[in-house]
Amino acid sequence: MSTAKARMREKKMRNQPASVQFVPSPLNVGSSTQNGGRDTPDTGRPSDVQHSTPTQKKPPHRGGWVRGHPKDGGGYAKEMPKYITAGAFARARAAEVSAMLKAVSKTTGSNHVFGALPKHMRRRAMSHNTKRLPRRLRDVANRMREKSLQAGSKKKKELPKSKSRKARRRHGNLLLEFNRRQRKNIWLETHIWHAKRFHMVKKWGYCLGDRPTYKCYRPCYRAMSSHCLLQDLSYYCCIELQGQEDRLLAALSQLTSKEAGPTFAAALCLSGCRQGSVTVFRAGQYPSQPLGPVTFLWRPRTQGSSHRQLWIWAHPTIKQDLLPELQTVCQCCEAVLPPAVPVVTPVEANPTAEPESEPENTPEAKPVPGTKKKRSSKDASGPPAKKILGDGTRSPTTPVTWKSSLTGIIINDLTMEIVRYRLIGPQSHSVLAETLEAATDCDEVNKSQTSPLWWPQHCRDESNMNLHQQQADVFRILKDIYSTGELPSGAVLGLTVDDPRLTLPTKKVKALPSVKQAQEADEEKMRELMLRGVSEHCCQSFLWEQSVRDNVTDNKISEQELNRLRSEMLVPGSRLSPTPLQGRVPILLVHQPGKQMGHEMSSWGAGWDLLLPKGWGMAFWVPLVYRGVRIGGLNMSLKHSQNKATPHFPHDYPDCPAGVRFQEEQEAELLAKFKRYPPAKRTNYIKHGCLAPFRCPWQQLAEEWELIVKEGGEERKGDGQTTTRMEERQDMTVTKPPSCFTVLRNRKSLRLLSVWCRPTTSKGQRARRVGEGLPLSHSAVTAFLASHEMSLAWVRVSLLSKGKPELHAILCVPTVEDLKLLSKGQASSGPLEPPHRDHFKSRIKRQKKSKERKKSATSSSVSSAKPEDKQPNVASASNPDPSTSKDSSSDLILGLWPDPLPSVTSHCSRVTLGWVTQGDFSLSVGCGEAVGFVSVVGLLNTLFNQPAEHRGKVLLRNPTSLHYRFAKINIEV
Amino acid sequence: MVRVKSRYLLCEVNVSDRSSLLLLDDRAVAATVKSVVARTHGDYGAAMCTIGFSVKYLNAHTGIVLLRFPKRCYRLLWSALPFITSIETRGQKIPCFLNCLHVGGTIRTCQKFLIRYNTQQLHRMLPRCKNEEEKQQIRKAILSCSLTIGKREAFEDEAESEEDEDE
Repeated sequence: MSTAKARMREKKMRNQPASVQFVPSPLNVGSSTQNGGRDTPDTGRPSDVQHSTPTQKKPPHRGGWVRGHPKDGGGYAKEMPKYITAGAFARARAAEVSAMLKAVSKTTGSNHVFGALPKHMRRRAMSHNTKRLPRRLRDVANRMREKSLQAGSKKKKELPKSKSRKARRRHGNLLLEFNRRQRKNIWLETHIWHAKRFHMVKKWGYCLGDRPTYKCYRPCYRAMSSHCLLQDLSYYCCIELQGQEDRLLAALSQLTSKEAGPTFAAALCLSGCRQGSVTVFRAGQYPSQPLGPVTFLWRPRTQGSSHRQLWIWAHPTIKQDLLPELQTVCQCCEAVLPPAVPVVTPVEANPTAEPESEPENTPEAKPVPGTKKKRSSKDASGPPAKKILGDGTRSPTTPVTWKSSLTGIIINDLTMEIVRYRLIGPQSHSVLAETLEAATDCDEVNKSQTSPLWWPQHCRDESNMNLHQQQADVFRILKDIYSTGELPSGAVLGLTVDDPRLTLPTKKVKALPSVKQAQEADEEKMRELMLRGVSEHCCQSFLWEQSVRDNVTDNKISEQELNRLRSEMLVPGSRLSPTPLQGRVPILLVHQPGKQMGHEMSSWGAGWDLLLPKGWGMAFWVPLVYRGVRIGGLNMSLKHSQNKATPHFPHDYPDCPAGVRFQEEQEAELLAKFKRYPPAKRTNYIKHGCLAPFRCPWQQLAEEWELIVKEGGEERKGDGQTTTRMEERQDMTVTKPPSCFTVLRNRKSLRLLSVWCRPTTSKGQRARRVGEGLPLSHSAVTAFLASHEMSLAWVRVSLLSKGKPELHAILCVPTVEDLKLLSKGQASSGPLEPPHRDHFKSRIKRQKKSKERKKSATSSSVSSAKPEDKQPNVASASNPDPSTSKDSSSDLILGLWPDPLPSVTSHCSRVTLGWVTQGDFSLSVGCGEAVGFVSVVGLLNTLFNQPAEHRGKVLLRNPTSLHYRFAKINIEV
Repeated sequence: MVRVKSRYLLCEVNVSDRSSLLLLDDRAVAATVKSVVARTHGDYGAAMCTIGFSVKYLNAHTGIVLLRFPKRCYRLLWSALPFITSIETRGQKIPCFLNCLHVGGTIRTCQKFLIRYNTQQLHRMLPRCKNEEEKQQIRKAILSCSLTIGKREAFEDEAESEEDEDE
């Protein structure tokens, strides 16, 4: 019976008397108090009377009887009262009478008074007028009515008295409402646009679009692989570092290691013409305690100065760890308080026009009364509220700048100061070329005047104009290249563009690559661009300058103003000329590399990142959308990185603090979803032999593989074949305290592993064979393991036949028979896991029963009886320690293993190597593909024992299936 | 209106030894009734007795049983009740017979009858008391089940329980 039904029934039956039977109590005391709290209190009933009072419901199975047998084997005669007194008899009668009275006088079912009406007076639709009721029921009905009115008003009171919709939707009020809602979570500038079209999620302190409300999975993929997909990545945090180059490099070198790839000091990146990416570790802790991946961009050098500027772009979950780390390595602890009143730009004399001033001027303490006052002042035509740009949640007094007197380094938190859009796809350059236009020069008149705007001033300098001309040239050449992927990865182009709203097409048109034949000279330049990238001085942009950024942000023409200008034009629909002076925006274009690893589909998913000063987000967004791009959300970026074969943050960083947090969140989310299903419809993961369907116990996996290899080594020692090196290593591992697992990031080791993973006689890869690696031999393996114990390797897994890997699928070692099966024919779909038995099911059932009994039975009898019949249960449930099982049994969930997991590696018939963190059918390859982690120790052990032609073959099994599928492991560097 | 109609028999279990009354439980009574109906009326009776028959209420202290029979055949089933001579429960045979006090169309009427009957019984007991203590106790019992008090309490109870639900 469902709970609702049961509740209904209980409500109906609560006044009905239930059968009263004698309950023998083992202790002979206190058995008389059977009635629950809500029945009439049994006054004047001595407690030594042997019978129970006839008031409480007493279904037979809850009593002292178990399936027709007395619980403790008969012997009722001695407990029965020998005689019966008149008093007891009278009391029993009286109790029965009162119970019956209660049943008769109370109406059943609905607690409405109408139930008490005689039948002939009942009506289906009855007036609420109490005067229509018979007088004897009137006061009760009145009381009921009052109560229901109160309850109604209570609910209503919570809602504030809302204005009419028209009033609410009025611009000013709407803005106030938006500003209020932005206090808790940061909104991106495109929030409203996204909120209308996307499922929004609150993540990392932001409101982000997860996936569109319309169906567009495949169109988005198609856009990524053949046209262009646009994403708003403004939630990425930018941290600016300024200081002497050597000082900066010295400080930053503590955070990275050369073994994990190029660092902050890579020559190409340092010059400023490439964006670099690097994995950051806690200072000096490599290879343990990684923080996560960041990308960074150096500002190109200015002549004769070693003062450099560096932007580090990090995911918001890294930022909270990264920022303190940066402060310690740079010894920057002096917080520079933001100025109380920011510099007011002179263009608009109205001080409230400064967007930052609104949140910064109002003290933190009075946000709520502040809005009220504003609302009232608004009616009195006061200054209108301003849109919040940037971070609305941060209090204005929080420092965003730290400087160090020792090293002279300044750290600046530029979160939400710069808008970042990502265009993915081979045609993203044509979209950019169509949307953006290099800024037009301003005429002599404007140049001569002193202007508060940055562009006319800027135009006065001849060298600036030269640079602008060169940048515009490069941008023009960019139009003619065939695909975005042809450019060198990470190339940077600084540019100043016109306001893209001016060239907004009237209709949405798909941006297509220009087909015109390029001239000879252009071709030469194009080749240069494709080979060498953008030259260093063209990477300079005025976006780096704080003052220019602020100027541009403050002087943006409002949409309204722009429309007014348009409406004043003689020919409707023609371009505004002359272009308003405010509309020159410095931007940075940063090339994003596509797929770099692996051999197939190289440079898939390459694109451009567009960096804009804040406030201009929507002005660029809508024109971009009008060029026929698809818009992707968070889940598209996950798919992007999956197809691109790069680890996605924070999903694929289980050793980073952010990754750990993410795993916990994901587990809670999946568990909550699992629990929402009715118990009969849930997957029984125990029966599927899946220990942890919602999380991956990496630490346990690494430890267990360590143990397995050690045991294997000992066996070998017994055979007398072991080397001395092996022994040494074992001694080392024995003495070592258990350490945390790490993800293998050492380039050299990964390369070695990658070579070993490849089968030696694979057809497609024969030519690609890299000769540098050592052959896979025993000594090589032990040497490798000595340096990388307790580590995991990030692998890509592609299925050989059908099957779609899912989240947290298990990667297993195939047995020799499996490999034989595979070599017999590719058509074989893989072995099956024998179904497991769920030992916990009976325990859960028993628990449920005992809980029910506990609820019903008298407290005294239960407390004495319970421990005796609980103990054998626990012992039978194959758990040796009753105390722990008792604790854990409180949260036993049907189909999930309780918390102390048994051995994860040897739980199934195949030995577990690792788990999948993301898996899907890959549209780019046409088969199931997954990314995940495997234990390095286990992987090497497996590879070593596998025959050469089957090297790198593993089995993959989804958590909800018993079917193993053959898959191939790829490690790509 | 439209419903499955049945008859409710309010019976009294008469035993020689009153203490054995406490052994009764509703399943034993139901089994006894079924077996005795099968004995007297054969398979037809047993079949009649399967649907719509139940022991609605049993008070082991006073020996009151409320049996529910389908309306169309309650006379047939009723006719079997005098043949009950013992009830087997908890491994013991209690010699007894059932005495029908009331036949009602609803549980409610049976309950109303039971109130009347019980108070009457108590009043009858009062003059036959042997000592003062007993008398006192019975008086108390009679007072506790008087109608006016019960009614007032009931309404207060209702109000209380309502508030509980709200929270």
